[in-house]
Amino acid sequence: MTTFSQGLWDSLMQGSPLIYPQILLIIIATLMLWPGDLFFAKGEKHKWAPVAFLTLALSGALIYLGKPGEGFSGMYRVDGLARGFQVIVILSALAAVALSQRTLNALREQTVEYYALILFATAGMLFLCGATDIVSVYFALELMALCFYILVGYFRTQNRGVEAGLKYYLLGAFSSAIFIYGVSLLFMATGGLVTNLAELGQKLPLVIQSNSLLVFGGVLFILVGMCFKVAAAPFHQWSPDVYDGAPTPITAFMATAPKAAALAAFLRIFGTAFHGLMDQWSLPLQFVAAASMILGNVAAIRQQSMKRMLAYSSIAHVGYMLMGVLAADTVLGTQAVWLYALVYLFMNTGAFAIVIHIQKGGQGERIDDFRGLGHKRPGLAFAMLVFMFSMAGIPPLAGFFTKFYLFNIAVQNGLTGLVVIAVLTSAVSAFYYLWVIRQMYFHEGGAEVEAPGTATTMIVTMACAVTLLATFFGLDLLKWAGSIGWL
Amino acid sequence: MSAFANSSTLLLATFLPLIGALVLLLVPQENTKAFKQGALLAMTLSFIVSLAFWFGYDRSSDAVQWTLSKDWMPSLGIKFSVGMDGISLLLWLLTTFLGPIATLCSFEAIEEREKEYYIWLLVLQTSMLGVFIAQDMFLFYIFWEVMLVPMYFLIGIWGGPQKLYAAIKLFLYTLAGSLLMLVAILAIYFLQHKSTGHYDFSIAGFQAMAPVIAAQGKTFGLLLASAFFLAFAIKVPMFPFHTWLPDAHVQAPTAGSVILAGVLLKMGTYGFVRFLLPIFPDATKTLMPWMLALAIIGIIYGALVAMVQADMKKLVAYSSVSHLGMCMLGLFALNPYGIKGALFQMINHGISTPGLFLAVAVVYDRRHTRMIADYGGLMKTMPVYATVFIIMTLSSIGLPGLNGFIGELFSLWGAFQAFPWLGAVATVAIVLGATYMLWMVQRVLFGEISEANTKMPDMSRRELATFIPLIAAAVWIGLYPQPFFRVMEAPVAKLMVQVNPAYGQGPALEQARTTPEAAPETAPEGGRR
Repeated sequence: MTTFSQGLWDSLMQGSPLIYPQILLIIIATLMLWPGDLFFAKGEKHKWAPVAFLTLALSGALIYLGKPGEGFSGMYRVDGLARGFQVIVILSALAAVALSQRTLNALREQTVEYYALILFATAGMLFLCGATDIVSVYFALELMALCFYILVGYFRTQNRGVEAGLKYYLLGAFSSAIFIYGVSLLFMATGGLVTNLAELGQKLPLVIQSNSLLVFGGVLFILVGMCFKVAAAPFHQWSPDVYDGAPTPITAFMATAPKAAALAAFLRIFGTAFHGLMDQWSLPLQFVAAASMILGNVAAIRQQSMKRMLAYSSIAHVGYMLMGVLAADTVLGTQAVWLYALVYLFMNTGAFAIVIHIQKGGQGERIDDFRGLGHKRPGLAFAMLVFMFSMAGIPPLAGFFTKFYLFNIAVQNGLTGLVVIAVLTSAVSAFYYLWVIRQMYFHEGGAEVEAPGTATTMIVTMACAVTLLATFFGLDLLKWAGSIGWL
Repeated sequence: MSAFANSSTLLLATFLPLIGALVLLLVPQENTKAFKQGALLAMTLSFIVSLAFWFGYDRSSDAVQWTLSKDWMPSLGIKFSVGMDGISLLLWLLTTFLGPIATLCSFEAIEEREKEYYIWLLVLQTSMLGVFIAQDMFLFYIFWEVMLVPMYFLIGIWGGPQKLYAAIKLFLYTLAGSLLMLVAILAIYFLQHKSTGHYDFSIAGFQAMAPVIAAQGKTFGLLLASAFFLAFAIKVPMFPFHTWLPDAHVQAPTAGSVILAGVLLKMGTYGFVRFLLPIFPDATKTLMPWMLALAIIGIIYGALVAMVQADMKKLVAYSSVSHLGMCMLGLFALNPYGIKGALFQMINHGISTPGLFLAVAVVYDRRHTRMIADYGGLMKTMPVYATVFIIMTLSSIGLPGLNGFIGELFSLWGAFQAFPWLGAVATVAIVLGATYMLWMVQRVLFGEISEANTKMPDMSRRELATFIPLIAAAVWIGLYPQPFFRVMEAPVAKLMVQVNPAYGQGPALEQARTTPEAAPETAPEGGRR
């Protein structure tokens, strides 16, 4: 007994440095809820924002300083893949906290729970990036998702917020069930012993002969579950409504961080555990990727609401990124996806920062509300122009470079047909991105827009600078991406 | 002078407009005069610097000159690499030459949002110049696509009543084509990696891939070639990809039309010369009859549609379809005469069509109508204008002694050599071209003068200044084309070796003539249309 507890203790002590960033987030978030909540009076809850921001920054520093390694009996590891995507998650969370101020203050909705939930969700996503066991993947997915269910429905007085929260919760729970059902099938197929991804990767090709249906079913269910999480068509139906109903800062957060984390898990599961079974899931996933590109881009054309438009556009962007998952060369595919997700973070956060600014108190996010922005706020309009052109993939902006690199990898891995669909649909996407630009520059009038505050200005400027200049520093980008290779 | 022409001044001339744009960005919006003069200054300086390259060009060599190559992303084989050969040089000079003219013609026509206008104009200029000097596929593609953005704004903000539709149509149409080309570029890039073992985006490296692509089989080459073809054919535009052109031309402000006609359309033909022909010689030969058929259809269709236009600008726009058809005809004859004729036709079209658009703009600025029926008898009230208009028209229809003649002559010569009956059909089309242009001139300049037109003042000095360089160039090329031939001599010879090495050794001509039987069926049909 003592040896067992001793062994457990040693394993915990040995593994815990790997998860310092998450431990920090969870401890601070717990303390914030109690007794921290007592510190600030009702009208002063906004003071929690800098606390949350600092905690996230500190956690980011811990990720940066952390050493690669594996722990908890192979349940979790820190490697290039994990750290790369964790950086994206932390940056996105930092931006979400900063961007929340305008909306929350306008609606007098500042609470400590809001920030605590962001921290918990971030911890979940950090776990997800490094989870190397099907069980830890599931735990991390749920920790992340549970926080988001609440955050999405945070404005409980608004009908569309409540609807979005409920919808997300029901479909999210449903997708988790599908995921875990797939896990159970695989568990059965391998004889009920293996859950570690790497071991699964060795075991599955051996049992596929005798248990082909179980294995195929398991892989397919897990695929569907993951596609739900990253909102890839045809499992995307929840996402426009949820994006639309959630508080806009949370929408900005959701469009980048959980997607990046889920893609990290996607890459890890399908790159290690199922890599040997590629011929089983390659075709379904190709279908999903193509459907996402086509459906996302075509549906986005008809949207009146900026948030819904960006929701559909993010479905399309996920479709592009799935090509990286499909690449037989897993390391190169991961690098391309990471680069894409990083640049998408900047473009998307910048665009949402402007949407939040135009919105004031949560209303007025129609594309028509951008009318005449080129006159009223040339700086903001120019930044929006850069983000839109970049998302459309117009060179020399960053969005072009990452698209170019991703397509490059895809062509290299023989996905030429998919790349042709991708370029054609991205020509379609130019239509709706240009629509925003058209509203800003070709029309005049529209409501007054006040000057942006410090946080918005900083985020927009930074995102705009990165988007404008990244291609010229392509060499450094590629170097960073090169360090994303797995251990 | 020639010592002044080196790779640094090449970059200087190319990026001067962009530098001008960045400087103008800092000038307050109210200072409209500064934008006009600043833009004109940047364009003119760029032109003056570019002249050095005309004198410094080594006409005896077919190599890319004034090259500069810096590593950009070595792991992907992407370089910042620039340089020019004779073909690029001519089009590059045409662009710097049209820059000041396009700026000058906007001074009074553009009355709102001047700051943005001149900045976009300058950005457009640099991106167009960049296309011609890029020696790296990645760099080329960047310039190629960036070009769309300023054009989108120029048409979308300062265009005519249908500007929104025209702007987005131009953008999406050309974007779709170029994106498919990107996929083909990537496919060749990996093929190259497979065969040589290293990644390389240089244009020379792509051209050297021709035998490897040919070895991959006919379908493979045709597939890739058609992706390139689509991108360029849309830009040219070749029939049936021309539908964006009348919209864009008619809606664009005058400077936009000048640049569209003068330079942007040449991007397509330049793409054919630089990429399609040397990289896919086999596919080019397979496609040749089809291309010639499309070219002939374009020539005749453009001419017939131009003839029935009531709107002067639209008429000139459709004449572009016709003239560029002539250019494609010469190009796909795949012999030195045809290719030289095509290159000449590019330059000529870049001089006479902008002149015609400017001429339309002169009367439009006075009466705000472009309908031919609204004019008549302008000869009496605007003699200077009438003279200029007639000279530009004659240059456009190819009167001997003016620039248009020599290009058409060579294109036809090339076509005759490849398929004699094809040249005959095209010659008929030239008569059509003369008909609609002269008919327009007749209706606008001669006949009864209406009340509304009697008070129109003749051209101002500024307006005349936009025409003088064009007329001078037209006369120069018309009377003494030799210097231009000498510039294109060596690169065209090199191109011939790449695309049709057997030419001139007897069997090649036969071979070119006897490739697929499809052509005789399609071309006459187009002719009857």
